[in-house]
Amino acid sequence: MISAALAWTFERTGVDKIWEALFARHIPEAKGPVAWLYALGSATLFVFTVQAVTGTLLAMNYVPSPDHAYDSVRFIGSEVYFGRFIRGLHHWGASFMVVLVALHMMRVYFMASYKYPREATWLAGVGLFLLVIGFSFTGYLLPWDQKAYWATMVGANIAGQTPFVGSYVSKILIGGAEMGAATLSRFYALHVLVLPALTGGALVLHLFLVVWHGISEPPKRVEKGS
Amino acid sequence: MSDWHASYRERYKKLKEAGKPFFPHTVFKDALVAALLLAVLSWLAWHHGAALEDLADPTDTTYNPRPEWYFLFLFQALKFFPGHLEAVAAILLPGLGMGFLALLPFFDRGPERHPFDRPWLTLTGIGALAGFAGLTWAGYNSPLTNPIVEKDPVALEGQRIYRDLNCSYCHVLGGRGGKVGPNLDLALGTRDELWLTKHFRDPQSVTPGSTMPKLNLLDDEIHSLVAYLATLGGGPFTSEAPKLFAENCASCHMVKGKGGDMGPDLSLIGSAREKSFLRLYVSDPSKINPSSSMPGFAGQLTDAQIEDLSRYLASLR
Repeated sequence: MISAALAWTFERTGVDKIWEALFARHIPEAKGPVAWLYALGSATLFVFTVQAVTGTLLAMNYVPSPDHAYDSVRFIGSEVYFGRFIRGLHHWGASFMVVLVALHMMRVYFMASYKYPREATWLAGVGLFLLVIGFSFTGYLLPWDQKAYWATMVGANIAGQTPFVGSYVSKILIGGAEMGAATLSRFYALHVLVLPALTGGALVLHLFLVVWHGISEPPKRVEKGS
Repeated sequence: MSDWHASYRERYKKLKEAGKPFFPHTVFKDALVAALLLAVLSWLAWHHGAALEDLADPTDTTYNPRPEWYFLFLFQALKFFPGHLEAVAAILLPGLGMGFLALLPFFDRGPERHPFDRPWLTLTGIGALAGFAGLTWAGYNSPLTNPIVEKDPVALEGQRIYRDLNCSYCHVLGGRGGKVGPNLDLALGTRDELWLTKHFRDPQSVTPGSTMPKLNLLDDEIHSLVAYLATLGGGPFTSEAPKLFAENCASCHMVKGKGGDMGPDLSLIGSAREKSFLRLYVSDPSKINPSSSMPGFAGQLTDAQIEDLSRYLASLR
């Protein structure tokens, strides 16, 4: 009975094939502490999940307008059940994301795991790194406190320094000549709609390529004379 | 070039078959790391939470934003590139860095993978990390001044000194501060730069009986403080301004009993008119008062001189 039900499910959904491809696949052996470096990618994915979950919870109480943003963040911190904890997780998770992405990238850089046939995996990873920076920059403004406002002002000014197109870049970024309501709603839309969508796409590509090529084996010294 | 590709594929296939399955071996390690991360994250979130400063105030230009720590190195790097070269540090350096990373697999294409077999790239990576760490450390320890919000380094230094000396314990500036000393929002426009310089060197020399302590500042520091105060509000006038008045205005206008009586007495003009009005009036009186017989000074004095003169006039009260 059970085996019949399982067979029916496998035939209709292919979960057994997916299990074989994802979980039963073999991984080249890495010995000693080096093996733990291979956990950095999945650690980044895990913290990203934490960010997605806590971010969704925060979005339920956050209002992206200069009149209410600051008060809604205070409300989250003082009134919402576990609001302070959830905002704390999201805040520290943001730093963790940057650290873990950087460490993961360093692992791949120093082990030269970006080499044939994994060039495209590396490129998707560089894209994901830029997206994390984008998340960090747009998210910084949302609490609409002094630090948020002035740090974003500096960021927009830095973007405005780009030769030739600088003034257009900063105008597009902050939604006009001055920072204000347009900037906040723009950053919010980028932070919760555009960047997650792009990240989702790049992440699926990155993970597919990791499974497709197989994770790179730990490097060995080139043997003399071979 | 790519003759090693096929042999690599073959070797990798064998290594993979000899390895252990993803589940449970890798999954176990990953789950352990995830659990550890979640524990640390929760501890930080519970005990430190996330800070929330005062509500954003777009008019408060004295606020020096602290960037998130992982942007501190870029902030610090900007300080090495004055003026227009800031564009180099702000755009070109990160752009080159990202370009280098994106193109990495296309110029490093040989079969060597061990760090010791790619000495140049390994050294480049270590150098970049050391640079990042060094700049972050320097940025963390240097005063938080922002090279892009504020362009004038001398005035910025003055602002830093103003804060470091805790002048706001006694003085109001920008609507904030203590009430022991004069309110600088009101008093600043009544003093010239020479007075301020003497005042900072020894308050008692210009204000006998002043309770303000002698600060033992270096000349550079005094210069910075004066330059900072000059950027605020109406700002102080120079010692040239009274001379300009004597040469151009005193034949018709009286100040404190000296001067002609063709035009109105200006001894208290600062309490009736503000600086911007006075500047406009001095430049071209007919724009404000068509029946005035006073000549405009727009062509005769430079803009800087008219500004200086208006500051002086605004201080008369």
